[in-house]
Amino acid sequence: MRTTVPIVTAFIAGFVLVVAFFFRGSTLIGSLRDEFTAWITIIGGFTLALGVASIIRVNWTAVARRKRDWPYKILTLVAVLGMGIPSVLPVSWSSLLGNTPGSIYDWLFEYMQKPMMATMFATLAFYIASAAYRAFRARSPEATLLLVTATLVMLWRVPMGEAFLNLFPGDVPEWLNTYVMGGANMAVQRGIIIGAALGAASMSLRLILGIERMYMGKG
Amino acid sequence: MTFWERMDKIDRRWIYLAVGVAGVLPFLFPTPFPIGVTPEARSLYDAVEALPDGSNVMVVYDYYPSTIAECEPIAIAALHHLFRKNCKVITLSNIPYGGPTMAENVTRMMADQYGKVYGVDFVNLGYKYGYVAVLSGMGQSIESIFPTDHTGTPLAQLPLMDSVKNYSDVAFIFEIADNATADYWVSIVNAQYGVPIGCGGTAVMAPKFYAYVASGQFVGLLGGMRGAAEYEILIDREADGVVGMQAQSLVHLLIIALVILGNLGFFLSRGRMKRGVA
Repeated sequence: MRTTVPIVTAFIAGFVLVVAFFFRGSTLIGSLRDEFTAWITIIGGFTLALGVASIIRVNWTAVARRKRDWPYKILTLVAVLGMGIPSVLPVSWSSLLGNTPGSIYDWLFEYMQKPMMATMFATLAFYIASAAYRAFRARSPEATLLLVTATLVMLWRVPMGEAFLNLFPGDVPEWLNTYVMGGANMAVQRGIIIGAALGAASMSLRLILGIERMYMGKG
Repeated sequence: MTFWERMDKIDRRWIYLAVGVAGVLPFLFPTPFPIGVTPEARSLYDAVEALPDGSNVMVVYDYYPSTIAECEPIAIAALHHLFRKNCKVITLSNIPYGGPTMAENVTRMMADQYGKVYGVDFVNLGYKYGYVAVLSGMGQSIESIFPTDHTGTPLAQLPLMDSVKNYSDVAFIFEIADNATADYWVSIVNAQYGVPIGCGGTAVMAPKFYAYVASGQFVGLLGGMRGAAEYEILIDREADGVVGMQAQSLVHLLIIALVILGNLGFFLSRGRMKRGVA
């Protein structure tokens, strides 16, 4: 029962959505597709709630048992509850509640979460610079080709570099855009996109036919 | 120990300091350089410019707060252009992590500048789980996926949504993305419903999106902060994108200098080793 019901559900849902692709309008299969689509967002909403419940349970347990780094878990709990609770309470109670501009949630998001996330992402520039200095070496013809191409593209993508490239005869920036980005890069990207799409299609087929059962925790 | 050996063992904190200085200097001493406009940015601008005034346009905030430096200038430039043309703007996000809030705040800030009224000139649909279901469901009925807007107001109470029922009522989609949701806008919305899409993405995502521009699935592309700067130049409103490019210029040049320095040291040290010099 534990295996059969999920497999049958996955088969029906997958089959209907694949077949419905070829139908539009108010056909039976079209109505089923609309119903299934609505259910995806409803079930997804529950998974988000489950995620919040899980993060609270895991961190609360760690704090209660004084596990390693437990003070940080308190910070996580304060952040989750401090942002979450005021945002779900009705704005009719107070203008500080809800998620509109001027609310507690909005303030925390604008002045804490957004700058912190942007700062974390910006630190990549420091690591990239350090890694480029230590690891980006022309050890082989392939590495040299990559290095030269990357250097030219990096120059082209910034105004100072573009001004430098324009000192050379011919329209080097235009050449880079046409032949490097729109040529070699695009050919490779198309290969990756087609490969990934074929992989996704084959994995979907395995799920619909019940061959792939990892989502049920089975090999 | 030779100079190159010392350089090879340089404390990485000196490199971090150099990057920090290169990032800050241009804000203290601005040195503007001309920025060329790529054909991809121009074709996106032309597509928006060709829309009849007052068209319904979806602006999609599919980026995380971490990439605001690149994506927010694109969103602001796009909204300048759209509001200037009196387009009706419908925003949404497939990113639960702050996407709807960024859509709300950025759009409201721009709408205030142009005197636009919420519900009449623009609407924020917010976020719903499952972008494949959301994108596909909106093709039948936007209201079935988003019964209310971001703040819980029923769509039936928003005058703008009277004339926007599904994709057939949307003239253009401006997708701003730092992740793979852009692929689904291509494969579901453009391929199945034929709505023209223009994309602004982070510089990391831009190389992939060239394939969609070449196939006509994206009418144009803005790649990273450079793309934002190009669009700002096209709409004649230079702002954060153009200013940010100066900092990016110096940091790029610094990285190139470090790569050259690292390789010089590598080859000179290897030459010394081959000659057996201690």
